[in-house]
Amino acid sequence: MATARPGWSRRAQYGLFFSFLAVIAGIVVGLLLLVLSLVAPKSFNEVRGAALNVTGPTAGALHEVTATVSGLFTGAGNYWDAASQNAELKRERVAMLRRMVEARAILQENRQLKATLQLREHEEGTIATGRIVGSSFNSPRRFAILSAGTGDGIRIGMPVRSPDGLVGRIIDAGAVASRVLLVSDRANIVPARLLRGGIPVIAQGRGDGTIDVRPLEVGRNPFKRGDIIITSGTGGLYPPLVPIARIVKLDDDGAVAVPLADPANTSFAIVQLPFEPAAATDLPATEAP
Amino acid sequence: MVRAALTGRTRIGREPAPYAPYVPAVTVIAASFLAALPIVTNTGWYPDFGYLALISWRLLRADPWPPWWAAPLGLINDLFTGYPIGFSVALWSATMLVLDLIDRRTMWRDYWTEWALAVVLLSIDQSLQWRLAATMGAELPYWSMVPPIVISICVFPVSAWVVSRVDAWRLRR
Repeated sequence: MATARPGWSRRAQYGLFFSFLAVIAGIVVGLLLLVLSLVAPKSFNEVRGAALNVTGPTAGALHEVTATVSGLFTGAGNYWDAASQNAELKRERVAMLRRMVEARAILQENRQLKATLQLREHEEGTIATGRIVGSSFNSPRRFAILSAGTGDGIRIGMPVRSPDGLVGRIIDAGAVASRVLLVSDRANIVPARLLRGGIPVIAQGRGDGTIDVRPLEVGRNPFKRGDIIITSGTGGLYPPLVPIARIVKLDDDGAVAVPLADPANTSFAIVQLPFEPAAATDLPATEAP
Repeated sequence: MVRAALTGRTRIGREPAPYAPYVPAVTVIAASFLAALPIVTNTGWYPDFGYLALISWRLLRADPWPPWWAAPLGLINDLFTGYPIGFSVALWSATMLVLDLIDRRTMWRDYWTEWALAVVLLSIDQSLQWRLAATMGAELPYWSMVPPIVISICVFPVSAWVVSRVDAWRLRR
């Protein structure tokens, strides 16, 4: 394809012609693969998992380096005013201890109440923990790379959370790394409710790190700034009572919220069993890319 | 090359490296592999590095690689970046075809023509990603694609410069 006019050489003319054919074949194959990955997303699970085994550990190793370097700087910074920090931390610790005693009492009371009601608690099975080492920084979709894979027991469709709140769910799993569909992705719809009042709402990502929250029932806008959204457990994928986001802005029929678990600052992410195991089998087929 | 004669360096015995034909494809794969950088952001504003490298090479030279190589290179990009498989395969092959057709029409080129072509190609790339995300259930407003388009357009001259340096190195110019 180098020059427009290959001259009188029959061989050069054929070469040009066949290279055109090869490129057109490439376009056709690409379109077929694309249609296949849109219609039957599961067909490429193995290939995508294998690719994650290459990119995941690289991102993990580089993440170690950057974390160490930034840790050196913040570590040095912590020494700067250690005395005042120490005093503040001591004050916080005393306050925390007081709150902890209260919480323990409430926990005990809760257990007794549940025993009288004969409620069975769902087990929150932790499958694996990993670090978030990368993200889809060159795509309109919001994915993150998790440094744990099928070798740790992770399967596609499992929910991922951090100590702060919900992170998302697994959509691709390699042996040593996996890809997480974040709650801020547009295609991730989480059944949720308002912590204050328990009004059922739907949380859907906006693709820019924030979340759209809409009430299920049409009517008055129930949200206030600062409200916390938690999972409801409806649908059976995400466990209930996991905090998702805090509302920062109201609009006409809903609100915009910011996820409590910021993937950029999440040190450890926990992969759990789907709340109702049956949900794991059908969810990825309908929603995962 | 009168000016080259004035530099004083002898050009005898300075032939391209034996691996020179493979350098462009390897740099494109390396650019795709930048997707493994440990960057965690809430916005997808970084450029599509693989595609930037591809069009930088193709706009610099008409024959950086046999044209059918665009398809496997695109597959590698899809796998590393997590795009739906087949997207880069089709887009990169189509880019090779379109740029060849354009080469037949244009009589001359300068930096501004190349940048204009890159603007069109990068906008098409990002718009198709946006359209594909919508097909897969992630409908976003189109203005959310404006920052990544502008950023990749601004990064193109840097990418073109890096590619031209690599080209000079591989040909021992």
